[in-house]
Amino acid sequence: MGLLTSSLLALRRDRGLIEKLPSYVSIICVIIGVVWLLLLPLDEYSRKTYISENALLPGQVHTYFAGSEQKIFNAYKHEVANLTGQPHHAYEQCDVYVFMLIVSSVAPKLVEILRSSGLKVATQKYEYVVGDDVHQGENVYGIIHAPRGDATEAIVLVTAWKNMEEQLNQNGVALALTLARYFKRWSLWSKDIIFLISADSKAGPQAWIEAYHDCHSANVESLPLKSGALEGAIVVDNPLNHSFESIHITYDGINGQLPNLDLFNTAVSIASGQHGIPISLQQMWKSGDSYRERLSTTFRGMVSQGFGQSTGPHSSFIPYHVDAITLKTVGQGWQDDMALGRVVESLFRSLNNLMEHFHQSFFLYLLMHNNRFVSIGTYLPSAMAVAASFTIMALALWIASGRPPSDTSTASPAKLSEGRKMEVVSTGDAVAVVPQEDMRVLERELLLPVTSIVTLHILGIIPFYLFNHTNQQDLRYVFYIFLVVNSILPYLVASTTQSLAAPTLQHKLLLKSFSFLLLGMFLASLATVNFSLSLFIGLLSSPLLLVGIRPVSTTKTSWPRKMIENLVLQTLSPPVIIAALCWSAGVSVESALLEAAFGWHVWGVWTQVIVWGVWWPAWLAGAIGVSLQT
Amino acid sequence: MGRLLQQVLLFAAAALLRLILFLVFPSLPDFFTGRVEVSTPVTSFKRLQEGLFLYTRNVSPYDGGVFYQPPLLLTLFSFIPDSIFTTVTALLYIGLDLASAQALIEIADSKLSGHELFYKSPRRHSRWGSLAVAAAFLFNPLTVISCLGRPTSIFSNYAILLAISKAIQGKTGNAIIALSMAAYQSMYPAILLLPLLLLAHDVSTQGIIGTDTGFLVRHAALFFGAISALFGLSYLVTGSWEFFASTYGNQLLLVDLTPNIGLWWYFFIEMFDSFREFFLGVFWLHLLSYVGGLSVRLRTQPLFVTITMVGLIAVFIPYPSISNASIYLGLFPLYKHIFPLMRTTFIYTTALLYSIVLGPAFYYLWIYAGSGNANFFYAITLVWGLGFSLLIGDSIWATLRDEWEVTRPEMKDKPIRQI
Repeated sequence: MGLLTSSLLALRRDRGLIEKLPSYVSIICVIIGVVWLLLLPLDEYSRKTYISENALLPGQVHTYFAGSEQKIFNAYKHEVANLTGQPHHAYEQCDVYVFMLIVSSVAPKLVEILRSSGLKVATQKYEYVVGDDVHQGENVYGIIHAPRGDATEAIVLVTAWKNMEEQLNQNGVALALTLARYFKRWSLWSKDIIFLISADSKAGPQAWIEAYHDCHSANVESLPLKSGALEGAIVVDNPLNHSFESIHITYDGINGQLPNLDLFNTAVSIASGQHGIPISLQQMWKSGDSYRERLSTTFRGMVSQGFGQSTGPHSSFIPYHVDAITLKTVGQGWQDDMALGRVVESLFRSLNNLMEHFHQSFFLYLLMHNNRFVSIGTYLPSAMAVAASFTIMALALWIASGRPPSDTSTASPAKLSEGRKMEVVSTGDAVAVVPQEDMRVLERELLLPVTSIVTLHILGIIPFYLFNHTNQQDLRYVFYIFLVVNSILPYLVASTTQSLAAPTLQHKLLLKSFSFLLLGMFLASLATVNFSLSLFIGLLSSPLLLVGIRPVSTTKTSWPRKMIENLVLQTLSPPVIIAALCWSAGVSVESALLEAAFGWHVWGVWTQVIVWGVWWPAWLAGAIGVSLQT
Repeated sequence: MGRLLQQVLLFAAAALLRLILFLVFPSLPDFFTGRVEVSTPVTSFKRLQEGLFLYTRNVSPYDGGVFYQPPLLLTLFSFIPDSIFTTVTALLYIGLDLASAQALIEIADSKLSGHELFYKSPRRHSRWGSLAVAAAFLFNPLTVISCLGRPTSIFSNYAILLAISKAIQGKTGNAIIALSMAAYQSMYPAILLLPLLLLAHDVSTQGIIGTDTGFLVRHAALFFGAISALFGLSYLVTGSWEFFASTYGNQLLLVDLTPNIGLWWYFFIEMFDSFREFFLGVFWLHLLSYVGGLSVRLRTQPLFVTITMVGLIAVFIPYPSISNASIYLGLFPLYKHIFPLMRTTFIYTTALLYSIVLGPAFYYLWIYAGSGNANFFYAITLVWGLGFSLLIGDSIWATLRDEWEVTRPEMKDKPIRQI
């Protein structure tokens, strides 16, 4: 201990090392974070999934949905086909106006069908206005009151008239109608079953779940008919007109919140175990179990979680603490619609067994295969290591800001003995000789850095407001103007500050310190709520740790280095990244921003708040720090 | 620019900021009112409205265990017509913030921090201007959020600041009456009676006759007289003494266990009933024990003791909220001269900032997302309590060090070492 203390004290002398050490440590933290993530798919770090809640008993019951139900299903299929007005035709060509007409005639018919099966039926009209875009429609839903229950709990079967890809979910709706009629005849239900047929996959389920919990706005109608607390929701999406090969399970909710892992496991166990239907996740259609495939699945899951947008009708349910997943049929194979019906039947029998709300299993996990996952305890350290790198750097810069500037950049033993006042420092039996000036702490002038940091974060409101309240046709121009303004903004701010306030080196160090402190803090908190978003923003911001270091030494940064730093900063600015992401995904910036605005207004997705309120200010502070001359 | 003009500008800016927040984001006040960090069972504005509703309809507001606030507040708020209730309360709370800032300016103007009657700090000339102190209070996000959330603890905050500023100006009677109002409203300010009396004593006797016991007794009696008068008035207003059990009884016995940022609720949820009385005693005794110790050890600096007690109250009372923290953080910059002596500033500042950000995140995980549980939030309240008590502890250490340098001037600026 004595040796350690004295060597630490002696370390204070070596300015070169002590200035560089924190940036090395923080870069190592970032590397640890990434490597950690890459290790996760290995068998040693991930675990096999298991059913935690014993009451679920997945696949323990015989399913009876077959035989004569097939005829009823075919009949309903014809009914639905008639409703579309275009039987046996692709629906996609149909324009919006015609679609609205159809939808308005669809609801009464669906009501009639559900009512004839003996359900209590109601409808709900909704309308969301985002910018100048109007999203409206009418949800139809019916309730089977539990013969053995007391209407305090309910489970939901959702089918959207159109799925996320705007395909007509013809067979899904027909299946729901058949199941409604079929379930009504059983006397074993101890929970109410709600059949929701929403007009679309994005706004419809959101409107319904909002109204179910009385959280809806004025443009969404209240629900005339309700049941008890929702225990779970299953979405059936079957747009195929032929037999399918496998079931694709989507489970990400809004803001990256996930359903309880038990629900997912139950679905996997029933579909692949009981009925022999293969399962795929995260659009990995040919899902193997190799390291690469696991990593790829995890990464796709993280991207989807990071964006926080809805990935299916189930997403809207999850923020209301209703665990939900979407089952979507994919591929050309030999599984027919009745098999899907049996999966749903078995799943509902399991949900019916639930004694209390899903709580046993994990809520925070990363899935890498049907039956492999990592839980939060294993993966969280990677995001935390990235967040910690910023905190470490903030601490280092804080200490650096308290050091008096010195004309000696590196201390050599010869210089030490020349005319510098020495001080003997001892801790226990350890003694070290330290130059007196190193023991002094400069008084820190906090006002300018604190106000600038607060201002930068408040400025985030401007892009946030712009991108969420601009009309569709102007959105593109607003974005490109912002892109240009944003790229010159750091230089503008830096030169203005220079002429107005004459910032010192200490100001610059403190500005960076506070910026890193806040970033590290926000990322650490965010990692507990939306791990992926926190990790991605942390990684995208990590170059900020490297630019403009060597804080105290007076040697000027060389111009090639400065060029490279500016180039790196410009490439990693939030608007450039957004543009690059859109380009690589092959979507227009305009539609991506519109989707994000829809996410904020309708679903309450926070990703934009984080981007403009956490990431952008941190980037701006870093860029200003580089351009400031001191 | 004259000082008066500067002050007017500062106050106008602070009022404007709050007005903008009230008017432009009309859902914000209600949002903050609902937050556990802002509203506690004994200060919640929502519960006040509930009580007011019952009171104006001649139902006892204390029936049903919703309302735990003293009756005179109801009388005050019942004068506000329903039609303009929101506007008037918003203006009232903005006014209270500004009045608190005014009291803070008066305290800072006295330059008594670091330069008390019996104690002159060697660093007393290093200080911030009164307006800077007021600005730090008015623009502290915690103060702004408290103002929007409208907890009634803002009233006792103002009364405490008023009491300190009056005591410093030598208007002891006014100070004691202000303190009795604060104590009437939320009980815990009664803890400040001793240090405040000592402060008033030092200012008004100017140390001519040593410690004047008569002065202390007289003013303590005035305090009890004033608070009894307020009780009497409350009795006249409600017609029964049942408010006693609901207001002070609840604070003493912790009847309502709604989560807050304090350290009590979780502890007493987990507690076996048979130990409850014992630990209630321990928790209260713990808080009270600081008054005597600090008053004796730092007898020469009663203002510092008072301010430190305000800080300890913000951590250790049963129902603390961020408005309790905001008043301490407002008073603390008066002691700028001890800042260079404080040792681990960065660590507890970071701890406090982390808990401010992580607290709501964990509360969200617990209550809304359902993926966390009560332990998450309680862990963060522990960090908050730890950060705050480290801050207070460090400030006491720095003060003692400062005091030590008076007797050992040669040790100024030297690193401390065991001797």
